[in-house]
Amino acid sequence: MFSSLRKQIKQAAVIIRFAWVRQLNFRFSIAAYRVGEILEILVLIAMWTSIYASSGGGMAIKGFTLPEMITYVLIGNLCMMLTRNYLPSLVSRDITEGKLSMALVRPISYMKYVFLNEFGRVAITTIMAVVSQIIIISFFLDKIVINGDPAYLLVVIVMLLLAFITELIMGFIIGTLAFWTDEIEGPLTAIDRIKRFFAGGYFPLSLLPIGVATFASYLPFAYSFFVPAQLYLKKMTIQEGLMGLVVQVGWITILSLVLKIVWSRGLKKYEASGS
Amino acid sequence: MNVIHVKNLTKRFEFYRKKEGLWNTIKALFYRQKLYAEAVSDISFDIKEGEIVGFLGPNGAGKTTTLKMLSGILYSTSGEISVLGFTPQERKTEFKKQFGIVMGQKSQLNRSTTPMDNFLLFKEFGEVPDEQFNLIFNELVDLLGVRGFLDVQVKKLSLGQHMKCELIAALLHNPKVLFLDEPTIGLDVIAQKNIRDFIKKYNKLRKTTIMLTSHYMDDIKELCNRVIVINQGKVMYDGSFAKLVATYATDKVIKVSMNEVVKKAILDTYGKVEDYQEYSALIRVPRADVKNVAVRLMSSDLPLEDVLIEEMPIDDVIRVMFEDTKKSPQE
Repeated sequence: MFSSLRKQIKQAAVIIRFAWVRQLNFRFSIAAYRVGEILEILVLIAMWTSIYASSGGGMAIKGFTLPEMITYVLIGNLCMMLTRNYLPSLVSRDITEGKLSMALVRPISYMKYVFLNEFGRVAITTIMAVVSQIIIISFFLDKIVINGDPAYLLVVIVMLLLAFITELIMGFIIGTLAFWTDEIEGPLTAIDRIKRFFAGGYFPLSLLPIGVATFASYLPFAYSFFVPAQLYLKKMTIQEGLMGLVVQVGWITILSLVLKIVWSRGLKKYEASGS
Repeated sequence: MNVIHVKNLTKRFEFYRKKEGLWNTIKALFYRQKLYAEAVSDISFDIKEGEIVGFLGPNGAGKTTTLKMLSGILYSTSGEISVLGFTPQERKTEFKKQFGIVMGQKSQLNRSTTPMDNFLLFKEFGEVPDEQFNLIFNELVDLLGVRGFLDVQVKKLSLGQHMKCELIAALLHNPKVLFLDEPTIGLDVIAQKNIRDFIKKYNKLRKTTIMLTSHYMDDIKELCNRVIVINQGKVMYDGSFAKLVATYATDKVIKVSMNEVVKKAILDTYGKVEDYQEYSALIRVPRADVKNVAVRLMSSDLPLEDVLIEEMPIDDVIRVMFEDTKKSPQE
């Protein structure tokens, strides 16, 4: 049993290392993405700063002071970077380009390979993103809220771990759309925008009517941005945070089942027509 | 012992027909006529351990579809398939560890990394122990002569070098069965020969059962004692390559090169002139007459530089066969 486990770990390590080797070939692309993301974050901060200034400064918008809003943008984006993946485009490309055919005859399950590979790939971009994000945060240190409460931080960390898993499963499911349509770009972009909205990526969900915000808290998206940022800001209690973890576990169970069904149906269709 | 067993295998694809034009496109959003096409239709054959079998047929004959069903990529619509005692479409890991596949049109290597990085990954896929890997890997690298570019990005390799690496990736786990779909497609004559020589040596060395599809007569001639010819999804011929040539390669081709321009009309007196150029021509001659015609050519006062006698191209052989069976259906 131990030797089998050791084999599994070794296999995982090689796949992750391969993802790193491959990823490091795209240094320019990674750097370019970072520049874009940093700019986006700076624009958001500038926007909120001027909104607060025009509303008389020092005021709070729906309970958010300016430092809190800046913290929300910085911490929320950091959470998103830690939990995101590129599975929708990866899986859909493998399907439409027919690469899946060759992957299916490998002695390793496609799903296992893709998850491990994505874990490796995300690790590299995440390290880069986190480093640059920490640099930006350090510039705003005097303007943001610092929370060192270990109980809150622990809940946030567990939440992000579960959010990472949720996002992986969701990413895979979205990618399998390619089994049914070749025109995947449109749906992918639309889904991305909707996800970002319900995650609170454009603005805090608490600025919305309470009904919408409550609805969003039962969806899986908010747990990779809005909820952990709120917890960090202590705008949510530990109890609310723990409740969130329960919601997440529920979603992981549901989405795993959905993935199983969608994958086996899609594969049947693929095996019937091939490409 | 039969390694591959195929009985009454059929594969039916669904497809849709849509008329041209905007209005018909809009109509097709709501209703499309669903049609079925049989890519493979009731084929049967058995392949023994260690055999190299050539799978021939024109484009769209069903060769690749059959290979895909044999490797478990595609489901069959009906019929039996067994490879090494496994049902391919169940895709058991144990089965996948025992066969390899190379598709000339579909790479399994990652292009942005080096061949070596790819091989180490494939080693892990197949859970190949280190010792076995070192042995097989070194053997393959030496046979194919690829040591010089193991550390060059795959996308920088030539087509021939790339194909050699594809072969290594497919063979690292020492498969008992190897499916090769057009392994020499697009390669130049020398690269084709290298790949061919390798397949021959490898089969001798490891007794691997090999099934390959190809368009090139030379591939089949050098590698396969047995060929299966399919057209429109049906097996047209299953037997020795020599017999196929004797029965259906009714003509031979005499390739003449000249150092002065000779009129086509003059060459026409020797046989059916194909591909006439000013200084060279291909003359098609019935097999029985080829010796006489060659002698006549050599003893003529034509300004000949070179005379070569070759088999007719594989596509022509198959065409003769199809025309023949159309005239007198076998069943």
